[in-house]
Amino acid sequence: MTAASADLTVNGRRASFTALPDDERLLDTLRWRLGLKGTKEGCRTGDCGACTVLVDGRSTLSCLTLTREVEDAAITTIDLGAGDREVDRVRAAFAAAGALQCGYCTPGFVIALAGLLKERGRSLSLDEILDSLQGNLCRCTGYAAIARAAALAREAAP
Amino acid sequence: MSAFELVTPRSVEEAIASLRASDGTGSAPLAGGTDLLLDIDDGRAAPARVVSLRRLPWRTLDWVGGALTIGSTLPLRSLEDDPGVRAQLPGLYQAVHAVGSVALRHRATIGGNLGRSAPASDLIPMLLALDAEVDLVGPSAERRLSVNDFVRASRRTALAPGELIRSVRVPESRPSAYVWQRVRLANDISQIAVAVAYSPSGRRWSVAVGGMPPRPVLLPEVARGLGNARPTDPALRAAGERATREVTIAADQRASEEYRRRLVGTLLGRAVRSVDVAEGVHR
Repeated sequence: MTAASADLTVNGRRASFTALPDDERLLDTLRWRLGLKGTKEGCRTGDCGACTVLVDGRSTLSCLTLTREVEDAAITTIDLGAGDREVDRVRAAFAAAGALQCGYCTPGFVIALAGLLKERGRSLSLDEILDSLQGNLCRCTGYAAIARAAALAREAAP
Repeated sequence: MSAFELVTPRSVEEAIASLRASDGTGSAPLAGGTDLLLDIDDGRAAPARVVSLRRLPWRTLDWVGGALTIGSTLPLRSLEDDPGVRAQLPGLYQAVHAVGSVALRHRATIGGNLGRSAPASDLIPMLLALDAEVDLVGPSAERRLSVNDFVRASRRTALAPGELIRSVRVPESRPSAYVWQRVRLANDISQIAVAVAYSPSGRRWSVAVGGMPPRPVLLPEVARGLGNARPTDPALRAAGERATREVTIAADQRASEEYRRRLVGTLLGRAVRSVDVAEGVHR
């Protein structure tokens, strides 16, 4: 079969599809089948990080991930409501630092940083955080405010 | 319409059979997919069947003494997170850390990196300098090849139809280093890279150069010139000059031949100086 049925768990909700093409990318399933447009398409070559989502809590490039490969996993995107400790904390830090200009890269940065806090918690130094965010590009070059947000999110870690 | 059929076998035997069954129309194994899917998007690969390896029991990392066996589908991020890798194989840690971004390394695998055999692979030069081997499973037999014999050319390996990389074996802990030059510091591909390792058991250096076509290569003569301990500054300079002369440098869209030639000795010096040879002696 090249378009069998599929089940996906996104932001705690189960979604079922009757015919999902085998080659479909997670990014396209999220945006076009589920209407979750918070996750952005940037380069579609794994270079910009705009499409970053969490797969079982780990940051993942949804443009380079087949939807069928993550059927058994829990997907978290920026369209998640309030209630996730790390995502909430990073959102608050970005708001407090005013860490966005056009906003296109912001969902990717927020999810990548939330994933990093889930992975490492307080053990991370600020340098390590910034090093780990190198896969996210801001074409407005608003990195100074993003770095301030990262520092705030790190300080707020329990 | 899907560009390919995806199958997700539950056993190694089934995976090998799935790969073989589509010979003629073309099949490709899928580990992390971070390279294969790009090639499919760009039309450089068009397999009729893609065989997912995600249900195979190969996400493993085993230390036996100083030897490390890495399951082929272990995400690179897990390799980078292993405290043993950081302490015992610092060059391998640096090479893994040099691959893409954190989000990419959560999916990309060592088996995928070797199997796809990109000329600018960051892992292959380091694995060459560590004398690493690959364990292959196939329709008729299992076999072990050195990474040097496994990698044939740009995007070409010794993998036979239906054959898969099960694991990669690094025979001993080695003080080592991986240094590279890129246009951008972050999330880029190396223009040229040098991997060095010192074998405490053999009291010898290994040197490999990567980052350019057709494939990463070992430089045994340059390594010999480094002697059997920390080289003196003149010996290191001579080895750098020798590397500059002897390595076959190619140009491509990422760097000219001359640029790479100027850098190879510099990177070699930087790499060797950063290695703590004494670290290996007491182990």
